[in-house]
Amino acid sequence: MMSKNSSRTKIVPTKVTDWVAPSFDDFFGNTNIFPSTLPVKSSGEANRHQKRKDHSSVPESSKKKVLARIKGKSSSIDHICDHSKQNQSQSQNEPWVDKYKPGTQNELAVHKKKIEEVESWLKAQIFQRQPKQGGSVLVLTGPPGCGKSTTIQILAKELHVQVQEWTNPISLDFRKEDFKDAFNYESSFQMLPSQAQTVLFQDFLLRANKYNKLQMLGESTEADDKLILIEDMPNQFYRDRDSLHEILRRFVRTSRCPLVFIISDSLSGDSNQKLLFPKEIQEELCISSISFNPVAPTMMMKVLNRIATAEASMNGEKFAVPDKTSLELICKGCSGDIRSAINSLQFSSLKEYSSENNLWSRKKGNSTLKSNTEASRTKKKKKADKTLENQEIQAIGGKDASIFLFHALGKILYCKREPLSDSEFPRLPSHLSEYERDILLVHPEDIVEKSHMPGDLFNLYLHQNYVDFFTDIDDVVRASEYLSTADFLCSNWNSRLTLREYSASVATRGVIHSNTARAFAHCQGGMGFRPFHKPQWFLISKKYQENCLTAKSLFSSFCLPPLCLQTQLLPFLAMLTNPMRNQAQIAFIQDVGRLPLKRHFGGLKLETLTDKDLGMPGFENIDEGDLSAMQPLEVLVQLEKNQINETEPDEFPLTSSQASGSELPASQPQPITAQAILEEDELKIDEYDSD
Amino acid sequence: MQAFLKGPSSVSTKAPASKERGAAAAGGSGEGRKLKPIPWVEKYRPKCVDEVAFQEEVVAVLKKSLEGADLPNLLFYGPPGTGKTSTILALARELYGPELFRQRVLELNASDERGIQVIREKVKTFAQLTVSGSHSDGKVYPPFKIVILDEADSMTSAAQAALRRTMEKESKTTRFCLICNYISRIIEPLTSRCSKFRFKPLTDKIQQQRLWAVSEKENVKVSNEAISCLVQVSEGDLRKAITFLQSATRLTGGKEITEKVVTEIAGVVPKETIDGLLSACQSGSFEKLETVAKNLINEGYAAAQLVNQLHDDIVEREDLTDKQKSVIAEKLAEVDKCLTDGADEYLQLISLCAVVMQQLTQNG
Amino acid sequence: MSLWADKYRPCALGRVDYHREQAAQLRNLVQCGDFPHLLVYGPSGAGKKTRIMCLLRELYGAGVEKLRIEHQNITCYNKINCYLNSLYSDAGNSDRVVIQELLKTVAQSQQLETSTQRDFKVVLLTEVDKLTKDAQHALRRTMEKYMATCRLILCCNSISKIIAPIQSRCLAVRVPAPSIEDICHVLSSVCKKEGLTLPQDLARRLAEKSGRNLRKALLMCEACRVQQYPFTSDQDIPETDWEVYLRETASAIVSQQTPQRLLEVRGRLYELLTHCIPPEIIMKFILFLKTAICFSFREVAQMAAFYEHRLQLGSKAIYHLEAFVAKFMALYKKFIGRWTRRHDVLKHH
Repeated sequence: MMSKNSSRTKIVPTKVTDWVAPSFDDFFGNTNIFPSTLPVKSSGEANRHQKRKDHSSVPESSKKKVLARIKGKSSSIDHICDHSKQNQSQSQNEPWVDKYKPGTQNELAVHKKKIEEVESWLKAQIFQRQPKQGGSVLVLTGPPGCGKSTTIQILAKELHVQVQEWTNPISLDFRKEDFKDAFNYESSFQMLPSQAQTVLFQDFLLRANKYNKLQMLGESTEADDKLILIEDMPNQFYRDRDSLHEILRRFVRTSRCPLVFIISDSLSGDSNQKLLFPKEIQEELCISSISFNPVAPTMMMKVLNRIATAEASMNGEKFAVPDKTSLELICKGCSGDIRSAINSLQFSSLKEYSSENNLWSRKKGNSTLKSNTEASRTKKKKKADKTLENQEIQAIGGKDASIFLFHALGKILYCKREPLSDSEFPRLPSHLSEYERDILLVHPEDIVEKSHMPGDLFNLYLHQNYVDFFTDIDDVVRASEYLSTADFLCSNWNSRLTLREYSASVATRGVIHSNTARAFAHCQGGMGFRPFHKPQWFLISKKYQENCLTAKSLFSSFCLPPLCLQTQLLPFLAMLTNPMRNQAQIAFIQDVGRLPLKRHFGGLKLETLTDKDLGMPGFENIDEGDLSAMQPLEVLVQLEKNQINETEPDEFPLTSSQASGSELPASQPQPITAQAILEEDELKIDEYDSD
Repeated sequence: MQAFLKGPSSVSTKAPASKERGAAAAGGSGEGRKLKPIPWVEKYRPKCVDEVAFQEEVVAVLKKSLEGADLPNLLFYGPPGTGKTSTILALARELYGPELFRQRVLELNASDERGIQVIREKVKTFAQLTVSGSHSDGKVYPPFKIVILDEADSMTSAAQAALRRTMEKESKTTRFCLICNYISRIIEPLTSRCSKFRFKPLTDKIQQQRLWAVSEKENVKVSNEAISCLVQVSEGDLRKAITFLQSATRLTGGKEITEKVVTEIAGVVPKETIDGLLSACQSGSFEKLETVAKNLINEGYAAAQLVNQLHDDIVEREDLTDKQKSVIAEKLAEVDKCLTDGADEYLQLISLCAVVMQQLTQNG
Repeated sequence: MSLWADKYRPCALGRVDYHREQAAQLRNLVQCGDFPHLLVYGPSGAGKKTRIMCLLRELYGAGVEKLRIEHQNITCYNKINCYLNSLYSDAGNSDRVVIQELLKTVAQSQQLETSTQRDFKVVLLTEVDKLTKDAQHALRRTMEKYMATCRLILCCNSISKIIAPIQSRCLAVRVPAPSIEDICHVLSSVCKKEGLTLPQDLARRLAEKSGRNLRKALLMCEACRVQQYPFTSDQDIPETDWEVYLRETASAIVSQQTPQRLLEVRGRLYELLTHCIPPEIIMKFILFLKTAICFSFREVAQMAAFYEHRLQLGSKAIYHLEAFVAKFMALYKKFIGRWTRRHDVLKHH
């Protein structure tokens, strides 16, 4: 065992091919690779040694089985091939997720069209390849647990395509200490530096390209079409995107087989897809991208039903099969994540739990109890039902029900209401009738919370989009006042963390209430779809700060306070000809001192918010203060760089400074930055005389 | 700072009372660099308790202690510049004479560090030094030391609480004298341990007398109006008045000090300007108001100062009902708060004037 | 080539163009070679810094000229005196520490040539009103501590924001904005030195338009020169782009009051902000417009004051600006509604 270990690690090329081999994974990642998914295996330091020794005696097949469980979705193709057949014979403790892993397209809980899309792409890339065509790349995105990987694996199986998957090599830095005592020779163990990961990745890509997978365990060698699957992106690339792009460029040029990336959207993280594959790269390399939606409830119900019946027929004595309503609840609670749905199904129907003190029904009982009291207290049956529902979802949910920002905003701004049903509910006195509203169907606080965004950031999104939903200026006045108050609440950094939530509450409720056009259930229709946009404020305030700093550093010789500098000196310098000093200053003056007059409302470009967007968590922590800490010098350098590109050398000398009369010297460059953001005027407004 | 230390009236090894320092800055170096300038407030501080102007009750009590009676812990409170610090310093000097003075008096003011730590360490160690009633020169001195805590109302309440224990423990050897402007900011346990003396604001007449005396001694030419103006702008604060007098002397460089110079130094908005503003409000014309307000800002007057003066003016006006006054007063308070928060002066002024205008024109 | 405003800046207290009496007083003040801490305040463009520089020149001779360049570099201060600009404006909340450290280093640094001149250094702090209260208190302590080696000259637009203890420690010098006549006078004399003839009417118009801000007047005059020479008394006075732009924005507000228009105005506000126009200036400018005065002035004034205050305290200016604009629109709409109704009634009669 020991010798095996050392030989493997020392001979790097072998290793590369080995990453696809499961035994190696197991070997390395004994306890630490999947610490979160594998609590059972986490054993103490003391017996690790022992365990390692034992490994050699563990029969290959059982090792494989364990692995399949550990790795779940990331297990390689050879497991999947015979997985469904093994299902029956495997132990009952196996997670249902793996037990009921779909084996055919029909079993997949993914929309037919999506599967077709992927399939046709694969077919096109593999079977209809032009001889000269290079490698092609596909990016699959979607929330976790919507069946991205499974789709690829099933399709690959059906098309008889070999899958080669990249697995991140495990850098052993964090285990260095442990090893030192246990194995002396480990000190000579080659650490994998982070750069190496990139190199190895590149190696992998190009190699996988050239050679077939090593033949292992007697698998068939017929399939010589293959596809490379990358789910586990080397971390290095998040920091250094350029190197990824470089590798991809090489890959596309030289390779012959398709490459598939699978990237999960996460609710809290940044959108990885955007980060790793910006538009330019996507276009340059013809990367296709297909995004998966969360699994639809009907589909999920189908799957859950199938599993439930299968389990019932097989192990009826051991499992209490949940009824239809509970299945529905599970369905709702997991917000489209089929993996978590199956997990919670398995958990909730375990007999041990259900028989002794029944977690499941207790929860239910709890909430019905609550609903009873509530119903009797307020007699608002419907509302009680709503709360009951919410509670139950949360109670069972293997997962927090979270809402995409897009929907969260929609819920606030479209604010669904419900007519007041009966006269039992006390009405406002007549002098307050203008504040009369129907019952809201949404809980603004809940929505904000589920959108996973700090309140002040949410407010910004709200602010960016609320005006479109108003028709009366007086309503806007009220809404804007609430937003202003909300900002005021958040202003003190000392108390910001606490007040954030309140501020969001003030803003959302304020905006909802002040929109009289949507005050009642009956006037909800006819709104139509309004696009949402991302807040421009970040960009604006960043630019404002940058410009101010640049102004300060460029014109420091005037010794003026910023206010004078920005409102008096710069604009006038833009009109004067003589006192130009250097190119950076001239460029800045033209850029900042001049405003695009006579061009009505060329507004700033709006970035549309789609249902996949997750806000800008990157900005969360950047407050104005941090922005101001940006180096003015950097800006300056940037500016000068632009400058060099922008100015033609022959126009350069400022000879005209004296002679010129009313016109600006031709050599002064056109404003750059501000114009760049400006979109050509799309909105023409009728001329109005200025005073 | 050395200036004070060398000055005959400088009182302790610690920094002298903070408020005097501004004065020191203004205190001319008219005598040139060899002779360090002394702020007049220090120079003309009362040397003995008898010289303290206008605070008869306090003086009477203190005199008794000079005649041998024990001294209670003291708490002096009252508006600034009424002689609180001067009184206790004069008393201490009379008690101990210039020599022992330094050993036996500890003075701490707001400029010094005065957290709990300091109270515990510094005051304690000082208080624990025992002193004997007699001294090497044979004279009999009172057997206690004095700790002067100037500007005690700016001490944190935790520090004040710490002081309470110390006061009790060291009562045998040490007397405390707390000086503050607002007695409400001293915690109750402390006030109950001291005999309280309220210092009345000085009357105009007394202030004028003092100012005349000072200007006579310093050979300053000053007009009658200027003196009464000084008294007026300093609002009962004699120290401020003397400081202004000294600054004015330096600015004019030997010429007669006029009323104008005084108002200028004090940063006070002239009466005419205020009247102009009010009459613009009275007129009901926004254009007029706007120009007046703009001018006011352009002249560089501080809006905060204007708010204060407008307040005085409004309160005394007879053509306004109480209700109207209260509406304006509320707005004044709001504007004052906004100004401290850093809001724009012009906008605040305009909005204030708009309210005043509304109230004034309602009348007619 | 430098700007007229810099080129013709007077460099001795005896040669300033206006507030002569005050200049004489300042000269008295420094005659003996020493002076108290000073607090110079007054509106922008009134000549505060000109006077301070004159004062320093009076003290130190022509050496101050060189310091003007040196002061930008914070680490390299002169042995004789030190002239610091508003380096703390980017320090934000930590300005207290900056101030303390700064004064400490300056005040404690030994003078290399003690023989030459004064035995104290001068530190000039501009924009003191932008300091937080904390920093001001720190400043007050430091003022006392280093009184022997250091003189402070504080410079700010308004003393409303300066804490009382600092005010009482300094000799306050108010520098009012020059009067219209003063500005006319300066403009003519500058033009004369440039070899230009400036019509009286134009000078007056320039002065009035500048809002008693001499720097602005000079800049405008120079812009006029670029635009058209010889001057005519009725020539257009060039306005800065942002002012024109704001005016356009204001008329956009006035011409239509709908949420849609508000969105467009928001775009314009953003545009202004990216061009370094501070939000409070935008708000003030809208208020200054004549249209604002003709209808419900009181409410507009109240509201402007209210939202400007919010602006100072809040963290994201656009909320408050937009709330202000929305309110302005609503008020205007109401006003127009009233006006037309009255008009209709009159017609019927």
